[in-house]
Amino acid sequence: MTQLAISGLTKSFSGRTVLDHVELQVPQNSLTAILGPSGSGKTTLLRVIAGFEHADSGTVTLGGTVVDGPGGYQPSERRRIGYVPQEGSLFPHLTVAGNVGFGLPRRERRGAAVGDLLDAVGLAGLGGRYPHQLSGGQQQRVSLARALAIKPSLVLLDEPFGSLDASLRATIRADVKRLLREAGATAVLVTHDQDEALSVADQVAVLREGVIAQCAAPLDLYTQPADPELALFVGEANLVAGVLGDEAVETILGSLPVHAGTRAGLSPGPVTVLVRPEQIDIAARNGRRGLHGKIVAYGYHGHDAVVHVSPELPDSEAGAPAIVVRTLGGCDFPAGAPVTLHARGPVLAWNQ
Amino acid sequence: MASTSAPSRPATPGRPAPPPAGRPGGEDRARRARRPVPLIAISALVAALLTLPLIFLLIEASGAGASAVSHLIFRRLTADLLWNTVKLTVVVTVLCAIIGTAAAWCVERTDLPGRRIWEILVVVPLAIPDFVVSFGWASLWNWFSGFHGAVVVMTLAVYPLVYLPVAASFRAADPGQEEVARSLGAGRVRTFFRITLAQARGAILGGCLLVAMVLLAEYGAFEILGYQTFTTEIFSEFSLSFSVPAACALSLVLVALSLLVLTGDGLARGRGRVSRSGTLAARKLAPRRLGKATLPVLAGFALLVGLALGMPIASSVYWMFEGGAHAISGVALPAAALTTGGYGLAAGVLDTLLALPVALLAIRHPSRIRLLLERTTYLVLAMPGVVAAFALSYFTQHYANDFGYQTAPLLVLCYAVMFFPLALVGVKASLARAPASLDDMARSLGQNRINVLFRVTLRLAAPGLIAAFCLVFLSVVTELTATLLLIPTGAQTLSSQFWAYESNLSYGQAAPFALVMIAIAAVPSYVLGRFFNRPASSTAAPAEGMLIT
Repeated sequence: MTQLAISGLTKSFSGRTVLDHVELQVPQNSLTAILGPSGSGKTTLLRVIAGFEHADSGTVTLGGTVVDGPGGYQPSERRRIGYVPQEGSLFPHLTVAGNVGFGLPRRERRGAAVGDLLDAVGLAGLGGRYPHQLSGGQQQRVSLARALAIKPSLVLLDEPFGSLDASLRATIRADVKRLLREAGATAVLVTHDQDEALSVADQVAVLREGVIAQCAAPLDLYTQPADPELALFVGEANLVAGVLGDEAVETILGSLPVHAGTRAGLSPGPVTVLVRPEQIDIAARNGRRGLHGKIVAYGYHGHDAVVHVSPELPDSEAGAPAIVVRTLGGCDFPAGAPVTLHARGPVLAWNQ
Repeated sequence: MASTSAPSRPATPGRPAPPPAGRPGGEDRARRARRPVPLIAISALVAALLTLPLIFLLIEASGAGASAVSHLIFRRLTADLLWNTVKLTVVVTVLCAIIGTAAAWCVERTDLPGRRIWEILVVVPLAIPDFVVSFGWASLWNWFSGFHGAVVVMTLAVYPLVYLPVAASFRAADPGQEEVARSLGAGRVRTFFRITLAQARGAILGGCLLVAMVLLAEYGAFEILGYQTFTTEIFSEFSLSFSVPAACALSLVLVALSLLVLTGDGLARGRGRVSRSGTLAARKLAPRRLGKATLPVLAGFALLVGLALGMPIASSVYWMFEGGAHAISGVALPAAALTTGGYGLAAGVLDTLLALPVALLAIRHPSRIRLLLERTTYLVLAMPGVVAAFALSYFTQHYANDFGYQTAPLLVLCYAVMFFPLALVGVKASLARAPASLDDMARSLGQNRINVLFRVTLRLAAPGLIAAFCLVFLSVVTELTATLLLIPTGAQTLSSQFWAYESNLSYGQAAPFALVMIAIAAVPSYVLGRFFNRPASSTAAPAEGMLIT
């Protein structure tokens, strides 16, 4: 069942269109990530859903009720939306317990509900503290508990992990996902961090210049992006030219099979081909066939390494961009070493 | 692929006219959300109320006739008054700028011994009414009068108006800028002038503006010293000679002069802003060592505090004992204190309430309308108390059939109008501590606007609202000019009773009133000091605390 449905949503500020006919469906009890670079309109989208901003046109439907649209407008306080902003936005004049109980009716504020929520977010016993006495991660947990306290129809998270240390981020991220699941909440998370979107969400919607470019499960988004631009935005990508034949596509990386699912929509001829860096193997140059090249740049990340290889091509194709290769663990070759690249299919292709 | 990225709308420039009002959905929905109509309406009413005295003045001036007024303006007396007023304003403002900035720098940036104590002592003179300072000197020595007397008295009385904002700006300034300047090869002196002073520039200008406005509006101190300015002349034309057209004409010139100062300040300030990039942890520069200069600087501080604070108090105490025990008028004093406190309370509450909608509009909904409204309320600054009081008094007497004439509400209204800009400063500062994001938060948690106002916005703003109230209260307690013109028959405030005794040369009986005024005014100025002197980081704590820790 769909908990949140957005259709034709448009919003502009002083003549600049920020959201342009946005379409989005969020199923119940799921976590949807809205992924976009800064300035793509994701926070505006969240604020419209929360009711802090009015849509110029289009409809927002929450649990079957139109909350913003031609049928009317429901103010923020009647939508029962739990909002977790980037900075936590805890009320500085209230204790942790006071913050969590803020949205509850007066007699429930001192009841067991607040304590139970603090237990759930791992802050048992800290109810008497003030926000400035908490660490950033603790503040975010309080903010989440406060949002969950009102038994929200929808939880909105606006880059909630952005201000946390990288080491803390992964733990809190996992905790939040677990808590949302336990609470049976439907959630929308806004982020510019693709790792975060891919690892946490059930569904990722990529917002690009106010338009939803693609909305799909994380695996589908990564393996089958809708266009080359999206392929570059989500994960690292090599886009190489190719010629599509009956069997396979011919590229500088050899002849590669095309994804069965996307094969039907393509017509033979010149295409753009997506080869992810982890689809390429790198080896010392030996007699084997493959794309010869030289290592021009090397970035070591511990668990993997990213190697840029400048291909050695006939003069007619000189100036081709470096091929990005990802290896597990380190890579033994020094800079400038001659190597050979082998790609593994299937790959994705688009007609040019 | 192109269909997803290329918007299919027509280009935005040359937008068609907005859709007819009343259409459901569409752009008007958005506009309604962003324009808080009730708030604008209330603020417009406040602005109208504040401009009343100015409007009354214009009505009275037009009643007197253009030729009569211009005849009264273009005469020798006006030129003399102009010269007296401008001369004094320029000299005192410059002296205050130097003393205030130097004192602030020594207290904030050097290892001056006893900084914590000096910090308080140099500000306390603000609680002493200017006319009491004047009384303190002139009552002891007859020769202490005229231009030189006025320069000494006013400089000692008002330099804290420069000290306070400059000290605050030194505290809040980005220490990194000075460090970078030094690392780029600028010497100590060059760094001081190009960085340190430049950072405090806005604060110095702001302080000077306040000083100039006080000088233009001062009556009591100059009357005691026998120095004639526009304000003293307007006062005597109106209340002694009953020459309304002359008072009108001079008031117009005084208002024009004040407007000139206001615009001059705006222009000077517009050139260049001091900004602080990024959120920085509260960090202080290592204090400059005074070394051999320690003793002279300490002597300077002792002299300043002795003259500005010790002298008026010592003189009042002297006259109390000199006048004998009978001088302490036991009955009149508590009654006058109660009356003063009541007026101060009423004006303080009224002003805080009036400033709230204007400040909310200014902070939360910046737009051209709010700018206009806010500017209008600052027009009040250009209207010295004597002009406001004279306009209200004459208008109620001659145009409103004595409605409200010489009643307590009219006096409180006059106070409220005069001190509105003070309240607005305090309320705006306090609302800045209650960010709009917290309001959004509270609303998403199911609270309606009224609940949000009481449970979040006002709770966060409370310390600042108290500060705003104190500013107004303090100003009312030490107000003399408007009080003398508008006080209800039979009532006496501390300042009006002081003035009555002082005019009779009953210094012994005047002295206790001076001391009580100082004592009462000292309390709110202490609270104010606490509020405005807090380091910038702790004022912004609610917002920043989220990110740090």
